[in-house]
Amino acid sequence: MSLVINSLRSHFFKHLLCTSTAAAAASTATALIFGHRTRGIVGQSRFSDSVFFFSERYKLLSQLASKTATFSTSRSSSSLETLPTDSYTSPYLSVTICCQKNVADMLSEALLCFGANSTSIDEHDDDSEVGDEICISSIFSVSQDVKESISLAVDSIGLKEIPSYDVVMHDHTDWIKESQESFHPVQVIEGIWIVPEWRKPPDLQATNIILNPGLAFGTGDHPTTKLCLMLLYDVIKGGEVFLDYGTGSGILAIAAIKFGAAFSAGLDIDPQAITAAQHNATLNNIQPEKLFLSLVPSTGSSTFTNEIVSKPTDRQHLNDKGVVTETEKFHVVIANILLNPLLDLADQIVSHAKPGATVGLSGIISEQVPRIIHRYSPFLEDITVSKMDDWACLAGFKKINLG
Amino acid sequence: MSTLKEILTRRPVAATIRLTVPAGGARPAPPVGPALGQYRLNLMAFCKDFNVRTQKYKPDTPMAVIITAFKDNTFEFTVRSPSVTWYLKKAAGLEKGSGRPGHVMASSLTLKHVYEIAKVKQQDPYCQYMPLESICKSIIGTANSMGIKVQKELD
Repeated sequence: MSLVINSLRSHFFKHLLCTSTAAAAASTATALIFGHRTRGIVGQSRFSDSVFFFSERYKLLSQLASKTATFSTSRSSSSLETLPTDSYTSPYLSVTICCQKNVADMLSEALLCFGANSTSIDEHDDDSEVGDEICISSIFSVSQDVKESISLAVDSIGLKEIPSYDVVMHDHTDWIKESQESFHPVQVIEGIWIVPEWRKPPDLQATNIILNPGLAFGTGDHPTTKLCLMLLYDVIKGGEVFLDYGTGSGILAIAAIKFGAAFSAGLDIDPQAITAAQHNATLNNIQPEKLFLSLVPSTGSSTFTNEIVSKPTDRQHLNDKGVVTETEKFHVVIANILLNPLLDLADQIVSHAKPGATVGLSGIISEQVPRIIHRYSPFLEDITVSKMDDWACLAGFKKINLG
Repeated sequence: MSTLKEILTRRPVAATIRLTVPAGGARPAPPVGPALGQYRLNLMAFCKDFNVRTQKYKPDTPMAVIITAFKDNTFEFTVRSPSVTWYLKKAAGLEKGSGRPGHVMASSLTLKHVYEIAKVKQQDPYCQYMPLESICKSIIGTANSMGIKVQKELD
């Protein structure tokens, strides 16, 4: 099995065995629903709470396995036993067809119309030795009838005969492994390195953030991640509470802790992202009390903040904060997602921030900046735009008194 | 996106990959994963880039994308809007075109539909310099070959 799947699997079992409450909480979206019941348990003494909490959670989780709450819940509860067998992990067929050069383009387009998932044509350096033949390699899903699709495609472009082809079944691990090859240590800011799990940090003295992104976004390579990291570095002075909306691999949340934030929370809609983020949190030795990860709650933000408050950042105030009515909890909020979600979720994202808090938005290109500014100007003031390579990151302060 | 000539003179090309991906929905799973993974391209960078550039389309419209992978593991890609046949089928509410085009009409559309489709097509890099009228004419031609009649108004 591949490195990624193995590491994810061992991660699950590690967290089942050890009494880490944040992992158990984060891996089910129902933590929010059960938040009311278990808050009483958390309110008890700090030493017993982790063991007690865990066993309660485990009971609740097994009860949950029989109920069907939301799709994301059932997905993540089943993932405790086995890995989710969805399209990420299914095998695929790779078909190599050799044909004449002049028809290669048309044939690949036709193949796409008739059921191929993708086609690729390799370029040859020296054309003379190859002659007139060129090979198209095409990927089909396992359920597809390859012969049928090829004959339909060949027919549609007018070729007289079906060219020779050959089919190989590949495992999902192949492409996952290949794509990991492209991940190298990268220095984002002076003294801060992002290092993949399977490579050694080039500079052991620097602050190293060790990552295994799995199938989630955030390797530190991308301009938007770099822009957000630079913003974080400027803003975090120590002791802040940070929210990473669209956390992906958890890189921003983890970086915030390393820069000195008191507490980080990461939200995402993709369960794969939460798994990857939890794994990365353990890789960087971050205590569960400092980092909270969850799927985006479907029931609205109030239950989420209740859950957040029950996480002990300030243990002596635990018993006082039974129920929280206001949503503004975070000193810094960063959302590195896409234009449309940023526009749709503007109210929600800003509601999590305290008045005067820094709000950062990214995952947009320069031409999309005006729309974001227009959408967020009722909430934010002093909006600045930083750019890298056509990618942009906006930063602003939440207005102190909103109408 | 740069012209083909610029690309070829600049860096050696390793491969040309064609894919169909839903707009805003690129994930590192199949079909994107295996196709790009075998050339060691940065999957996440492609997914993010693709998703950002297709934000202006309705989510999950199947976009045709052509990726040029270079030998140094970098890549460039161009995105094309879905095929005219797909738009026509969607506008007419059909699953497939007519079995006997010219003889049996599957459905009918108005000129307004054709105009809207032509406007979207004009944003494609290939069609930007064509006058709207000729794009409309070619759409009508495609519609005829599918068995979709184009009328002035729906009766």
